[in-house]
Formats: sequence, structure tokens, C-alpha cells
Amino acid sequence: MAISQQHNEAMASQSEQIHETRIIDVVGLGKVFDQNGQPLTVMERVNFHAYEGEFVSIIGPSGCGKSTLLNIIAGLDDQTEGSLKLRGEEASDRLGTVGYMQQKDLLLPWRSVLDNAIFGLELQGVSKREARDRASVLMEQFGLDGFESEYPSALSGGMRQRVAFLRTVLADQQMFLLDEPFGALDALNRSQIHEWLLGLWERLNKTIVMVTHDVDEAIFLSDRVYVMSARPGTMRLVANVDLPRPRYLEMVTSEGFVELKTELLSAIRRESAS
Amino acid sequence: MSIINRPGVRESYAFPNWLRTLITVGLRWLPAVLIVVAVVGFWEVYVRIFDVQKWLLPAPSVIAKTIGVDAGLLWGHTLATIEEIVVGFALALVCGFALATAIGLSRTIERALYPFIIASQTIPIIVIAPMLLIWVGYGLAPKVIVVALICFFPIVVNMVDGLKSVDSDVVSLMRTLGANRWAIFLKLQVPTSLPYLFSGLRIAIAFSVIGAVIGEWVGSSEGLGYLMIRSKPQFLTERVFAAIVILSALGVSLFAMVGIVERFALPWWHKEHGSRT
Repeated sequence: MAISQQHNEAMASQSEQIHETRIIDVVGLGKVFDQNGQPLTVMERVNFHAYEGEFVSIIGPSGCGKSTLLNIIAGLDDQTEGSLKLRGEEASDRLGTVGYMQQKDLLLPWRSVLDNAIFGLELQGVSKREARDRASVLMEQFGLDGFESEYPSALSGGMRQRVAFLRTVLADQQMFLLDEPFGALDALNRSQIHEWLLGLWERLNKTIVMVTHDVDEAIFLSDRVYVMSARPGTMRLVANVDLPRPRYLEMVTSEGFVELKTELLSAIRRESAS
Repeated sequence: MSIINRPGVRESYAFPNWLRTLITVGLRWLPAVLIVVAVVGFWEVYVRIFDVQKWLLPAPSVIAKTIGVDAGLLWGHTLATIEEIVVGFALALVCGFALATAIGLSRTIERALYPFIIASQTIPIIVIAPMLLIWVGYGLAPKVIVVALICFFPIVVNMVDGLKSVDSDVVSLMRTLGANRWAIFLKLQVPTSLPYLFSGLRIAIAFSVIGAVIGEWVGSSEGLGYLMIRSKPQFLTERVFAAIVILSALGVSLFAMVGIVERFALPWWHKEHGSRT
């Protein structure tokens, strides 16, 4: 009994420790843009965090500063107030350490599929030959085998997005920011790529932060979902998604899913109305 | 007949592939050929009916005959003109590329140089060409400089536009992948600018022919421009026209060659947009 107790305590403290590793920790973050001499507050007092290996989504009305938040985390922009810590440290030179994938696939039309995929590795200084070897192994997993030497213009939207994913994955950064990555895909393609992305994420063990306006998508994929307010954006709600993993498409009709969806939708509706 | 048309025997048995390609290409250029035939035909008939003097307006048949008879003479002068064009165009390409790169890399350089690049195009070539003879001597140099002066402008302007037309989202993406300024220039700006550069090269190569002729008019001892200026006072109008025909053919061929080089240099562009020539 005593041993068991001890064991439980050890387990508890260990899980506490894992839980404490906030790979992204944002406290009181604000951003004010200068718009023709007028200050424009895009977001204020944003508190947000993501644990190591977690999948977190952010939903909110358009123009609420979701993309600004991602830009700041990625290092493309700086906050005007508040603090941002990556792995517990103030990361002023974080640019290049956080993977960032946007809605547009941003493939370079003059590069083949393979050379688009290795673009990140190449920029990190990996030799082209080694980069190509590493990419070739993953082509099949990304449903791109046989298309290595095609130009992006010959590919469908879904395939182009997978090339962009492969480019992000190969760059091998510890956390990925996804800004509405499936926005341009139709519903059928989306649900397929959702399951595929979850499979990938479980293998990779990376932290993913995704911005979306699709509640189903956010719940289906995430461990936690944040709801952001209209501008000036701030976090209004955070909900844990308790659905078991691995997840299946059928779960979207389960009781827990529908309950959470109702809660989130009404929160979003309040934000859009105000 | 019945054997060729038998089902299962493909058409390619009747028409070999090369012949098929020839027919396809021929049909594509048919409108241009028809226009040439119509204009030349009208010209020939007009000259014959109204009995226009040879020194005033030679008939196409006379011009054709002159090209045949004077082939040796014309060929020598054509080579001289081609040399001026090729060297001048190459000089314009090198200088234009370098200038565009400098402008693309630095706003300060852009502000410092762009006014002078534009001003260079307002200098009347006809006035500056005789001065060049005094400054750099007789020979190849002044003609090459005139050609380069005319050609470098569309090259610089187009390439600078190309360097600036990058997608800012791709720049952001590259920065999050760890790219520095130099990598963004080499791996994004330069490739983006190449189709623009080739548009500039097309304009430049068309201008280069007239540049060489102007250079020769001012002072030279060879080249098609020199031949024209020599033949006119001798009332050898058919020779002037022969030179014009060769210059036109030269211009069209050089333009087509730029197109062929582009096709090999930018295969992705052609797959996306199709052929331009």
C-alpha cells in the first residue's frame, strides 16, 4: 500500500513535470500598430500557452489578431507589450526556430516538388544531395511518390498543400504554427487530410498551434481550443478536448464532441455579435 | 487507299512524325506567311503595272535577284553587323544584369542611379554617336557602345521590376526557415525576375539591330548600315532594300533565338503559361 502510494506520488510529480513544460508561454501580450499616425490596438492582454507535444487550436472572428499572434511567436514581428517565452526563455532571436505554414502553399513555381520540399533544409545549410535523400524517403508517406520531378503547377490543391507540409516537417523545427492550412481545400479533401495530419503528428511528437475558423476542425484535431475575441483580440475561452486518441471521423457525432461544439459556437457567436 | 484507311492502322503510318510536326508548325505560321505573300504580291504587281523606276522602288523580284547576285558582298557586311549586335547585346546584358542587381539589393543605389539610367535614354543617339568616334576611335567599339546604350535600358527596367515583384508571404516563409537577406535575393528574387528579364531581352534584341545600323551610319567601313549609306547615293536602291530584307530577317531570327533560350532556361514558365513565340 505504502509502496503503491509512493509510486503514485512519483507518477503524479512526473506527469506534473511533463505538464509544466510550456514550450510556448505568452503572458499579457499586446500589439499596437501605427496606422497613418493613429494607434490601432490589434490585440491586448493575450494569455496563451502550449505544452510540449500538444496540439492547440485558436478560433476567432476574422481580424481578431490571430495571424498577428502567430507572426509574433514565429519571430516575424514583435509585441508592443507583454512577454513571450519559448521553452521557458525569452527568445529574442527565435526567427528560424519556429515552423510556420500559411494558408497559401507558397511553393516556388520554378522548383520541382522534391526541390520545394527540401527548400527549408537547403536554407538551413544542408547539402542538396543529403536533403533530397531525406525527402525521398518521405515522399510516399506524403502521397507524393512519382511526382518528385513535377512542377507545382501540375499538382492539385491538396497535393500542393502536402508538399508545403513536407517542407515544414523536413525543416524539423520543434513547433509548427499553422495558419488556416486547410482553408483552400474542399470538404472531402479536408477530412482526409485531417486524419492524415493526426497520424503524422502522433509520429512526429511536435507541438502544433493551429489558427482556424472551422470549429469541427479545431475540436477534431486539438487537445485544447482557444476562442479569441473580436478586435482588440484577447483570449475569451479555453476548452480542453477530452476525446480519446487516436481519433476517428465518426467521433464528430459523439456526445462529447457535439456538446463542446455547441459551447464553442455560442462563445464565437457572442464575439461576432459584439 | 483502302489499305491506309483500314481500321487499326494508325494515321502515323501514313504521315511520319516529322512531317506531322512540319504541318503543325506550318499551319501555325500560315497567317504570317499569307500576309507576307499578299504584301509582296501587291508590291510586285504595283511596280510592274505603273512601271516604277528601279532606283525609286525596286520590285520584290529585283530585290530577290540582288540578294542572289550580291550574296558574297552582303554576307560579308551581314557578318560585320552581327558581330556589333552580339558584342553590344552581350555588353548590355552584363551591365544591365549588374545594374539591376545593385538596384535590387539597395534602395540607396536605386535612388542614386535610376534617374541617370532614365536620363541616358533621353540622349539623342544620333548626336552622341559621332562623339563616340572621337572618344573611342573608329573600329568596332563605337558601334558596340551604341547598341549597348539602346539595349541595356529595357533589360535593367524589366529586371528591376522582376526583382521587386516577389510575394512578401514567401519572404516571411523563408525568414521563418532561417534565410538571410542574401538567400532571399539568390533563391527568391533572382528566379522571380527571370521571366521579366527575358521580356526585357526580347525588346532589347529587337532594338539592337537598329542600334548597329545607326552606329554604322555615323562612321564605318563595313556592315549593312554602311552598305545602305554607300548604295543610296549610287541609286542602287535595290541593294538598300536587299540590306533591309536581311536586317529584318536578322531581327526576327535573333528574337526567335531569345525565345528558344528562354524555353530552355525557364522550362517551368512554359509549362505554366505556354509558349510566347
